[in-house]
Amino acid sequence: MNIANLIIFSFVLISYAVSGISRGIGETEITTDDGIEVFQNEKYYLLKKNVKITSDDFEITSDRVKANFEIDLYDITSLETKGSSTLNAIKYGVTGEGDEININIKSEVIIVRGKDSFLNLQETKMSSDGSIKVNNSLGTFELRGVNSNLQNDELDIYGEYISGVFAEFDGKKQIKKLNVEDENLLTINTENLEMNAKKAVYDDQTNIIELFSKVKIVKGQEIITGDYGYFDTIKNSYKVKSDNTSKVKVTIKNSNE
Amino acid sequence: MNFLLTINKKQLIIFTSFIIFLILFIFIFIFLNNEKSITKINNITTNKSDIIQPKFSISGKESEIFITATNGNFLSKEKILLEDNVKFKSKDFQLISDNVIFDRKNFVATSENISKFSSKNTSIISTGFDITENGNIINFKGQTILKIK
Repeated sequence: MNIANLIIFSFVLISYAVSGISRGIGETEITTDDGIEVFQNEKYYLLKKNVKITSDDFEITSDRVKANFEIDLYDITSLETKGSSTLNAIKYGVTGEGDEININIKSEVIIVRGKDSFLNLQETKMSSDGSIKVNNSLGTFELRGVNSNLQNDELDIYGEYISGVFAEFDGKKQIKKLNVEDENLLTINTENLEMNAKKAVYDDQTNIIELFSKVKIVKGQEIITGDYGYFDTIKNSYKVKSDNTSKVKVTIKNSNE
Repeated sequence: MNFLLTINKKQLIIFTSFIIFLILFIFIFIFLNNEKSITKINNITTNKSDIIQPKFSISGKESEIFITATNGNFLSKEKILLEDNVKFKSKDFQLISDNVIFDRKNFVATSENISKFSSKNTSIISTGFDITENGNIINFKGQTILKIK
């Protein structure tokens, strides 16, 4: 019993002594395995090999990082990472991973690039083989490139270009507007519907997803195709129209097929 | 009762000895690590200093860097080995190391020793550095820690 107490006491004592050399509150600590190259006139420095940046608000890891500063080394305006990079911005509920991550600290713009890159904004998950851009101060996002995907509790969206606006309600980020484009047809999945089109637009004021060109809505065994369609996310109802050159087509699949 | 009063003396002595041994071990380990990096330069030092308290300066584009040391020894016509408390000081920063080779002709400084850099709200500890292009580029070498307040 005595020895156990002694170990705890010593552990507390040693931890207290060691804390003098660890990162303090409000400090940013950067560690590298292959040094830091400072370019004073050009106002940037390169962090080389196995870079780890830790602060109260975020943690970044990468193979190589370029840090741009305004006045002196402490005054970082942006970070550009290269090679298997990760971001964990605890304060903002943002996590991400990609070949490259660019962070503009003043404008709060985060760009993740590369194959299998992802960026999560709380419950909203974004992934792409191209790029993902989030402007936290303006509340906008943009995904470009193949295999771009946006997922939240209600929607699962695939398209070559996905952009939108989000807003924060009670600390939760929610999508207010959405624009999806894909020449090879986008896909929007809801709980019981699959929608395809060349373009889709959503506005949380109307709660309607509008679909344009080569529209296809699949609900269970029912497939409806046309040139324009819309889906009311509140009423869970949809409608498809066609222009003068074509007709709306309804196909009902045989459940025994 | 205060738990410190209930501690068995024998156990306390054993434990204290263990802690002292641990601290000594850490200090010896750090000391030996430092010694390794100094060895290279020690091989070429001489017993007598060629220059006592040498002073140089590098004129950069935006500011001047003043270099001071306790001793200096000529390695060649242009290269000087600056030893003990070598300081690079400008209006923006200070860089301290123990052994630095300074090229007077090209204004290039190189160190393979632990170096401590400090400027406003910033400190850097590295296992060496190069200063090139009239002080514009400072390359902190090896494992490096940068702290920003």
